[in-house]
Amino acid sequence: MATLTIGCFPGLIGNMSYDFVVKLADAAINKGHKVNIWLSGNAAGSAKAHQKHLKDYSTGEKHLKALIERGVEICTCEACTVARGIQKPEGIEKLQWNAMHWYLAKIHASDRVLQIGGE
Amino acid sequence: MGDVKLAFVVQKPQYKGETSRLAITHAISYQTVEILLEDGDTVTPTLCFVGEGVLGLQKGQKAMDLYGITSTETHLKNCLLVDLDVLICKEDLAKYGIPEDMMPEAEEMGADKKIKIAPFSEIQKAMEDSKHILFF
Amino acid sequence: MKLAVFVSDFKLASDTLDRLKADKLGIIFVANGVYHATTKENGKSSTLLDKAPNLYALSEDIQTRGMNDADVDKRVKVVNYSDLVDIIFNEFDKLAWL
Repeated sequence: MATLTIGCFPGLIGNMSYDFVVKLADAAINKGHKVNIWLSGNAAGSAKAHQKHLKDYSTGEKHLKALIERGVEICTCEACTVARGIQKPEGIEKLQWNAMHWYLAKIHASDRVLQIGGE
Repeated sequence: MGDVKLAFVVQKPQYKGETSRLAITHAISYQTVEILLEDGDTVTPTLCFVGEGVLGLQKGQKAMDLYGITSTETHLKNCLLVDLDVLICKEDLAKYGIPEDMMPEAEEMGADKKIKIAPFSEIQKAMEDSKHILFF
Repeated sequence: MKLAVFVSDFKLASDTLDRLKADKLGIIFVANGVYHATTKENGKSSTLLDKAPNLYALSEDIQTRGMNDADVDKRVKVVNYSDLVDIIFNEFDKLAWL
């Protein structure tokens, strides 16, 4: 078992790189690996709870919740999130909020790191 | 575990997207990561700019005056103030006709570090020497 | 270093990939990057297929776009997300997303 940390910067819905992140995380967990996901930039917008899943649109909340239940640590960049008008009480339950050094700390302990920049 | 070296490689220009700015701020956060690590563990980033990533780094930026946001110039000065190694690709500056002396400095703010204009081969080495590479 | 580069776009704006050197270089085509593996332009294959000996394309992204394995250039190995996890951990030690 090894650890993968993914930095996800593209926004939910506007960019399917976000969908790639949740599917890769799911596949890695299925194989017994540990996964951390850092949401920053536009991806921080996906930290907000009560997303409505419409079939025409990608969705984040239900996938993030499922990954958290299976032990994936998911953290949103507090600065990026509040800058987008989302406050902590509005966030998805059990999703962590922290500063950028959370990402670096997870990277420190990881075997593989995939940084996906925003577009 | 000790020190983990990271290469932050910025290949997108500043300002239209935020990714290139976030590369800088994430690299700067190495200053405080120790509060989340075991005693003695550290992270050492090298911040590199290549390709179109060398666009939007030069002195004299008006981002704060015109858009009310911190300029990349200011972010780079902050990098130097926290002793972050910053490498800007020599070949790419030349490719885009950007004079090397247009890169920001922070000596007057008390920084010991200077931006290093480096050949791509040196940036390649920084990637090879790092445990992980983060492309922005 | 053993470097896997994820290519997620069909049109590449930078020449970063050309400059990267690795003891083992792999290219993993995902999202719109799969078109490099499936689509010719004016009858010519993508030049990216000549860049590295280890080429992979994500099956889920190929099928999402209405194509199938038969459309993929013979030089490219079609993999799914599960295979991708193994490739990430077993075949390469550093990852880059362009």
